[in-house]
Amino acid sequence: MATRNRTPLYRKYRDALRHVRAPAGAPSASASSSSSPGGGPVIEMASLLRSDRPYAPLSTDDPSTTSSRGAATVGLPPAWVDVSEEISANMQRARTKMAELAKAHAKALMPSFGDGRDDQRAIEILTHEVTDLLKRSEKRLQKLSMKDSSEDSNVRKNVQRSLATDLQNLSMEFRKKQSTYLKQLRQQKEGQDGVDLEMNINGSKSTFELGDDEFEDMGFTEVQMSKLKKSEAFTREREREIEQVVESVNELAQIMKDLSVLVIDQGTIIDRIDYNIQNVAASVEEGYKQLQKAERTQKKGGMVMCATVLVILIFIMIVLLILKKILF
Amino acid sequence: MVLITLVRDYIDRMLHDIPGMKVLVLDPETVGMVSVVYSQSDLLRKEVFLVETVDNASSSRESMAHLKAVYFIRPSSDNVQKLRRHLAAPRFAEYHLFFSNILKIPQIQVLADSDEQEVVQQVQEFYADFCAIDPYHFTLNIHNNHVYMLPTVVDPPGMQSFCDRAVDGIASVFLALKRRPVIRYQRTSDVAKRIAQETARLMYEQESGLFDFRRTENSSLLLVIDRRDDPVTPLLNQWTYQAMVHELIGIENNKVDLRGYLNVPKDQKEVVLSSVQDDFFRANMLENFGDLGMNIKRMVDDFQHLSKTSQNIQSISDMSKFLNNYPEYRKTHGNVTKHVALVSEMSRIVEERKLMLISQTEQELACTSGQAAAFEAVTSLLNNESVSDIDRLRLVMLYALRYEKESPVQLMQLFNKLASCSAKYKSGLVQFLLKQAGVDKRTGDLYGNRDLLNIARNMARGLKGVENVYTQHQPLLFQTMEGIVKARLRDADYPLVGNHFQQNRPQDVVIFIVGGTTYEEARTVALYNAANPGIRFFLGGSVVLNSKRFLDDLGEAQRISKSSSLV
Repeated sequence: MATRNRTPLYRKYRDALRHVRAPAGAPSASASSSSSPGGGPVIEMASLLRSDRPYAPLSTDDPSTTSSRGAATVGLPPAWVDVSEEISANMQRARTKMAELAKAHAKALMPSFGDGRDDQRAIEILTHEVTDLLKRSEKRLQKLSMKDSSEDSNVRKNVQRSLATDLQNLSMEFRKKQSTYLKQLRQQKEGQDGVDLEMNINGSKSTFELGDDEFEDMGFTEVQMSKLKKSEAFTREREREIEQVVESVNELAQIMKDLSVLVIDQGTIIDRIDYNIQNVAASVEEGYKQLQKAERTQKKGGMVMCATVLVILIFIMIVLLILKKILF
Repeated sequence: MVLITLVRDYIDRMLHDIPGMKVLVLDPETVGMVSVVYSQSDLLRKEVFLVETVDNASSSRESMAHLKAVYFIRPSSDNVQKLRRHLAAPRFAEYHLFFSNILKIPQIQVLADSDEQEVVQQVQEFYADFCAIDPYHFTLNIHNNHVYMLPTVVDPPGMQSFCDRAVDGIASVFLALKRRPVIRYQRTSDVAKRIAQETARLMYEQESGLFDFRRTENSSLLLVIDRRDDPVTPLLNQWTYQAMVHELIGIENNKVDLRGYLNVPKDQKEVVLSSVQDDFFRANMLENFGDLGMNIKRMVDDFQHLSKTSQNIQSISDMSKFLNNYPEYRKTHGNVTKHVALVSEMSRIVEERKLMLISQTEQELACTSGQAAAFEAVTSLLNNESVSDIDRLRLVMLYALRYEKESPVQLMQLFNKLASCSAKYKSGLVQFLLKQAGVDKRTGDLYGNRDLLNIARNMARGLKGVENVYTQHQPLLFQTMEGIVKARLRDADYPLVGNHFQQNRPQDVVIFIVGGTTYEEARTVALYNAANPGIRFFLGGSVVLNSKRFLDDLGEAQRISKSSSLV
């Protein structure tokens, strides 16, 4: 993979040519501004500005060259750039949040002595935030492609596509995380149920052993009841969590569905560069044809028709008027 | 993935160092070169949000100062002129110029002169001046490919541009590989000799500094040969997947146009056949048609299984599993429809044109001797009503190439029959082919009947019997490759340019076929490379031929030479 950098040579030629050009350019500039008072400083300003390009549009003294040049080279980016930047910032935030969430998930799944309510809370909040961010990004993304002129809208569409691909990947990743967490939660729950059951059996066995025949028909003891209640509450809590996660998964599925319209399938003809170029060329041509057609129909259409009818009518009226004058 | 990876790396490097939103500007030729290795989504990942061609970019005058322009164009004088105009009235914030080949000093001066506003940030030469359609196969897509058959005096400027393009392409392949080769060419071909000598001049004299890679010299070889040395391969019907698609439908830069065919699904009017992106195609592009059918059946079965599981979604976990796999599912779906559409279309054509029958005779004409039987077979096929005109023409050509010197009476009979059978046949085309690529013009031993060893080998093969009647033909290129590996290539037939010698076995060999390669040869090269580690063959040509393209070139060359001889 050999390459050759021709920039130094190019620079050399360009600098050499600038030196040649500079003396040639200066007289003409002074000639153009000599009529205005205080020509000298203005020239200096202009040349100074020229070397420091970003401020070029400020100079209005030299409208012929500098300002047009300034407009071409600087100029603010259109408003949608801000939107796209906002979206990518949002996605970045979502990414960091997801990392946090992964940590929280791991922590919540670890067996601990506390009831882990804080963890749950944290997870809930994080999940909510991430979902929210993704949803918001998706909304903004839809807004990105609004009506606009030809080429800029192409750029816009491509930006949108690229962001959509990113967003899709991100939400996929998020959903995968959610579903593994869900699975693990379920497993844990099942495990816990199993343990509880065993404990119950154990407990009932022990009661059988303990209270020979007096407590035979007693059923559950106080302790067992409280335990049962506790585990019931625990199960309900888990149930709620699971529901929540499922809900967020569904929300994400919706986002995915909306995005899939925008994302390009890799390996298909739509993903080919030359196909896209041809398409653009074809659509431009098509647009031109449509325009011509519109022009033609306009010519044929109501206005012209109306005018001709009126002209004919006027003509007839004039004839009538003349006839009237002659006859009467 | 060698050639493809090289071009990809070039483009990666181009786009990597420039932060921010970019627009990529290409010329009509680099569009093809970039398209075969890079996809739109790859570009988007590199923040390239607009792709334009040089002609387009000049037509619209919308200023886009928030974009940086990355130009990747060939250093042709036409492109430089267009670029000058762009630089004189810049629309983009920065200009990064990458040229696909060696820039001439005056061109740099011209560009520097028009860059009054100093918007150009860098000027680089990135040598990716070829179309890497497969890992070991490249093409240059030269438009006026027919000129290689004409003598130089007929169309000097056309010949010059043809040779220049070939030399540029070969040079850039070696620059990308970082090698300076020893150069050999086929003695009997004037155009091959000219290209070889011009390449040598470029590499050893004009730009010797650029080609000095301080590696062990002589480790690579460039062999320039002429298509006319093996006119049989492009005339045969093909039965391996990639070659067959090209022969029956036509592949252009890994893209297949199916718009003219009736029973093709609507979203598959144009499909991509790329060995990089499509795993199924990569696995099957070299398989023959029968095995391909089996593999497609297996793929469809797998897909059926997948879609069945996706249909009975009962629980939430099923659903989430399905959604996780959904993009994968969709991709597979598209791929399955694509291959099924292609294969069903091809089997329809095979059925319609009776290609099974024809191809058997073709293969026998190419591989086994037996003039009387061959004459019999060709005559009966010419009499067959359902054989199409182009197939008739090809049969007679194959017969004529093989039995040029034996019994001219029967050959004349065939010519007359052909002229009476097919209305569109341009008279004298077969004779023109014989004049171009007859037995006196050829260097290689095309039919393996020149020396005793080859005759013996052929007889042994005849006794052993062949595995598959339809794919028994082996292109001449295979013998040439064997010759290179075993150092058996005669210096008298394939002389060296200059006083460089091949000391040891070469590691990288580029074989450039003036007049175009075929996918059958590309397959031979790919299989050879897979079987022989330690040596890499690269195959390149001015175009990728199928029989239609070859006959078109032939007809065009005949027309021009006829009109020029009249004048």
